[in-house]
Amino acid sequence: MTCAEFQRVLPYIIDGGGSAEEQQHLATCQVCSDLIADLRYIAEAAKLLVPMEDPSPKVWSGIQESLEREGMVKPARKHF
Amino acid sequence: MPQATNCYRRCIESGSRPEYTNLTTAKKILANGISEQEAIDRAKQGDAECFAALYGLHKRRVYSLCLRMVGNTAEAEDLTQEAFLQLYRKIATFRGESAFSTWLHRLSVNVVLMHLRKKGLPEVSLEQTLEPQNEDGPRRDIGARDNVLAGAIDRVNLGRSIESLPPGYRIIFVLHDVEGYEHNEIAEMLGCSIGNSKSQLHKARMKLRDLLKLSQAQRAARR
Ligand SMILES: [Zn+2]
Repeated sequence: MTCAEFQRVLPYIIDGGGSAEEQQHLATCQVCSDLIADLRYIAEAAKLLVPMEDPSPKVWSGIQESLEREGMVKPARKHF
Repeated sequence: MPQATNCYRRCIESGSRPEYTNLTTAKKILANGISEQEAIDRAKQGDAECFAALYGLHKRRVYSLCLRMVGNTAEAEDLTQEAFLQLYRKIATFRGESAFSTWLHRLSVNVVLMHLRKKGLPEVSLEQTLEPQNEDGPRRDIGARDNVLAGAIDRVNLGRSIESLPPGYRIIFVLHDVEGYEHNEIAEMLGCSIGNSKSQLHKARMKLRDLLKLSQAQRAARR
């Protein structure tokens, strides 16, 4: 199995693991195992991204105004 | 003192705590002892102040989701507003089969996807965002090793790189790798096949890898 062949199936086996032949290639190929390590590292790093920002206060004002316009709530004090 | 006012005050005080995500709904206690569940129950009966409290509790997560998916502040704000308006209209249908945050999150994803479809841009049409197949990726049987990324990603860098992904890649990457949806869920949301979802995710990660390596190289050059 060549690197090109391995990388063609990679999107479908990266989570579940591949066939014996694919695993064999991975065990002996530094390029492909580096690639997988990078891709897994990216996926892991993405999981650690946390919500960092609050929306601006005008989002809440907009919600309030819409609800009031639709008569779903009585006009109220504005917060947030 | 009317209950609503208590609810309002209690919920508000814990409004923007970011660390609620590790707690189950049942354990999520807002300040002064009211649970999120109580706030939901009262919001269902039209208690606007409890709705405000739920907004305070979840606004950051919903906004971040919108921002990551559309990559622009003004649109993300509009979508956050729309998501909470829909929440207000639909909260009575929340039956508690899933956690409230999961339910709200899914509702928000649908609002974003609906918006992208309405815009008629190719953003959700995954096929159209395909870049010409590039054959010059890492595939090779001989040659030197690339630098590996291990340990080199920081949040700011990754966040910026995600923003600069083409929209189709960005959406699938955010849904799968950041937000934790499975391929079958994504396929259903986007109306594509599971295989398509997998191959697009792979392309998104490959693109990110390029971007991250580029910024790694730029930082190394500055040193
Ligand atoms: Zn290989």
